Amino acid sequence: MTAQAEAINIAPLSNRYPPGDLAIWIFILAELSVFAIFFAAYAFTRMHHVELFNQYQQTLDKRAALINTLALITSSYFVVRAVAAIREDNSQHCVRWLLAALAMGTVFLVVKLGEYHHHFVVEGVNLSTNTFYMFYISLTFFHFMHVIMGMVILAAVAVMAKNGKYSAAEHTGVETGASYWHMVDLVWLILFPLVYVMR
Amino acid sequence: MSQVKRARRVLGIRPCTWVYLFLITFTFVTFLVGKMGIASLHVSLLILLLALIKGHLVGRYFMGLGAVRGPWRWPVSIWLLVPGLLISTAFYLSYQ
Repeated sequence: MTAQAEAINIAPLSNRYPPGDLAIWIFILAELSVFAIFFAAYAFTRMHHVELFNQYQQTLDKRAALINTLALITSSYFVVRAVAAIREDNSQHCVRWLLAALAMGTVFLVVKLGEYHHHFVVEGVNLSTNTFYMFYISLTFFHFMHVIMGMVILAAVAVMAKNGKYSAAEHTGVETGASYWHMVDLVWLILFPLVYVMR
Repeated sequence: MSQVKRARRVLGIRPCTWVYLFLITFTFVTFLVGKMGIASLHVSLLILLLALIKGHLVGRYFMGLGAVRGPWRWPVSIWLLVPGLLISTAFYLSYQ
């Protein structure tokens, strides 16, 4: 195995900017700020309805949340490998890792839709059922939309990589898509314990 | 390839794979605590701490911010810290 093939998470030395287009990082920070406000609002609202939040938190499917967390972490790992592959000038491997990441994203969507079906159709829950469900639906659905957006971006990057648009010398697009996808993962890493576990 | 540095492998495993394994392990710990349904401030804060560590690992190793010099190295860490403190405060107050 060459030094190039061994390299993973390779970063230019003295890099003063994060990987990818700087514009996506402005967007990422804006998105993270919105989610931070959501999280704080959840936590401070819960302060006044502890019993209600603890009671209805128990109705959530923690196993589904576990599967979704594993799916997103795994997809993020696959994206890291996709970036490493293109830095090694291996666009074929890059495409494969991106497709694997998209498969994990699909797992997330399917499991989440199953959860929504249970709550919305079987239990008849909606935004006005109670404060806990209002937050649960708002937070998870907002994140759900970001997962879809991230998958669209990853799919576009995969198509471009397949068409040979990226190389070891120029792969900003791959890093940009990867950064957005990691942000989606990052948000879920806080959302999962906050909404499903902490009580 | 003069501008790239090789990440050191530990036990023949890539750093990002180690991070992935840590993330998976922490996730199972969080899930098991959740299954127990413990209502405790200390447990909640411990779970939050695990989540913040996971977020830090994602920022540093997956997003590549560990290799960035200067102010752009810190936004994700600061982002984790701010909601982390707010959530901790809210949970602490809810137990008073």
